Amino acid sequence: MKVTRNERVNNMTIASMQGVIKRYGSHVVLDYIDLDIQEGEIIGLLGPNGAGKTTLIQTLTGMIPFDRGKIELFGNSKNPFSNQNKERIGLVTQEITIFEELTAKENLQFFAGVYGLKRQEKKKRVEEALEFVGLADKGNKVPARFSGGMKRRLNIACALTHRPRFLIMDEPTVGIDPQSRNYILEAVKKLRENGTTILYTTHYMEEVQAIASSVTIMDQGQIIKNGTVEELIQTVQHEEKVRIDVTDPDSVPVNSLEKIAGVKKAIVAGSQIIIISTFGSGNLDRIITLVKEHAGVLGIQADKPNLEDVFLTLTGKQLRDKEEE
Amino acid sequence: MTIFRFALKRVFGNTTNLIFLTIFPIACIFLPKGEGWPFLPYGYQYFGILILFIGIRLATIILEDRGKGVVKRLAVAPVSHFQYLSQNLLAYSVILILQCAIVVYGGILFGQELYQPSRLFLLFVSFCFASLAIALAWISFYRRKDTSFLLYMSLIFLIVVLGGLIIPIEIFPDLLKRIAVIFPTYWLAEGLNWIVFGENILDFLLINSVLWLYTIVCIIIGSTRKIY
Repeated sequence: MKVTRNERVNNMTIASMQGVIKRYGSHVVLDYIDLDIQEGEIIGLLGPNGAGKTTLIQTLTGMIPFDRGKIELFGNSKNPFSNQNKERIGLVTQEITIFEELTAKENLQFFAGVYGLKRQEKKKRVEEALEFVGLADKGNKVPARFSGGMKRRLNIACALTHRPRFLIMDEPTVGIDPQSRNYILEAVKKLRENGTTILYTTHYMEEVQAIASSVTIMDQGQIIKNGTVEELIQTVQHEEKVRIDVTDPDSVPVNSLEKIAGVKKAIVAGSQIIIISTFGSGNLDRIITLVKEHAGVLGIQADKPNLEDVFLTLTGKQLRDKEEE
Repeated sequence: MTIFRFALKRVFGNTTNLIFLTIFPIACIFLPKGEGWPFLPYGYQYFGILILFIGIRLATIILEDRGKGVVKRLAVAPVSHFQYLSQNLLAYSVILILQCAIVVYGGILFGQELYQPSRLFLLFVSFCFASLAIALAWISFYRRKDTSFLLYMSLIFLIVVLGGLIIPIEIFPDLLKRIAVIFPTYWLAEGLNWIVFGENILDFLLINSVLWLYTIVCIIIGSTRKIY
């Protein structure tokens, strides 16, 4: 499949889900999903285990049927899962879906062949994909001898040989070392630079914060919020939190701190004074001056809300269970 | 035909498969003829049992693909589930047909008395297809290959004994003789007897038709399960 220059340049909607409902018996797994993915975006799909992320992917790619709603891929809503559209999509599965008995190169040749690449083109793309994921020197080795991170990278490469315009990555970094994770995140950024649209699902908010141009938060089969990272954080940024490490916390007059304009609360916690103020109150100078009058200041730390806080505020839940961390 | 090509590559890339697919069938050629029963050399009776083992061994590759999510990945690619299944089954069929040819025509070269070798070859081919289809239907009920394989081993033991492949069916009580007709191994044993004593070609066609009926029904059952 040849992508014309116009197709690349036009900022078109790559994928769209409108009012999609998916049920298993009486259990609603996807509850009226509305989602638009524009060309060139990296959408971070964030949600805890069981939120419906994988089901959304399976529905979006036509792997499983849906009960109601409409799906459009590359502007085609009549037959969104046509072979022509499938040739433009790549899927990095959550499981490592490679053949352990074949070499890394053979694995890539298989997937390139399935996408209809011819001999010369296939050879070139296989080399490129191996190079891209940093396995160029491991092409003739069988993945059974690879580390978890290397298998994950090969798993990604298998989805790249046909140069998809729309790449779906379902939790591609589960259970790997930080070095491989960084490698994968850098690769995702590079893909975006090359014009690939990416739907990236994870329950690691730091990954989404690092790579996504926009974020969609899911819980219990519903999309509960979407926007850029900054937009989402702003929705929960009603207050500011400052932590001051002091030499003698008990000597600091907490009541006086609470009288400063904008301060909502001041608390002594161990060697720290925690001050919560109204967002944008600009009272940091006065707070520090007052604290310095009574104790030595060892350090100041301003807590900014992150996606975890956004998620907590929206759902009342942590993104990850404690034991997962 | 990428899936077909790689199915062959994957089968022969595994040492256990190589033993099952080469050494065991060749060994069948050299087994001697029994006194009285079975009427063909022992190796040709045991080759039927081997076909059942090979059938499940090959079909398990599809179960592995399902378990590992490869089928899921292919569902997003421009290949249909029918293409995936048919190309895999075609590769396995080619392997099984080659084995039948080696066992039958190798036997002739070795000097075994096989009475009607071409019909024996056809009978084994029909049984191979039935065996592969039964294994495909069997794995469609399982998620884990270990459970599937172990239980199928027990099933093979049962149908091999009750089907009259290692014990002559004539010594069974009437009830077991009547039950035996539901097993494909019974029809193979009948076919092997026909190769030695059979005269009416219609009987041979009936035996093969029953094996093909097993094949069709089991392929339908086995191919309905697509991804999970």
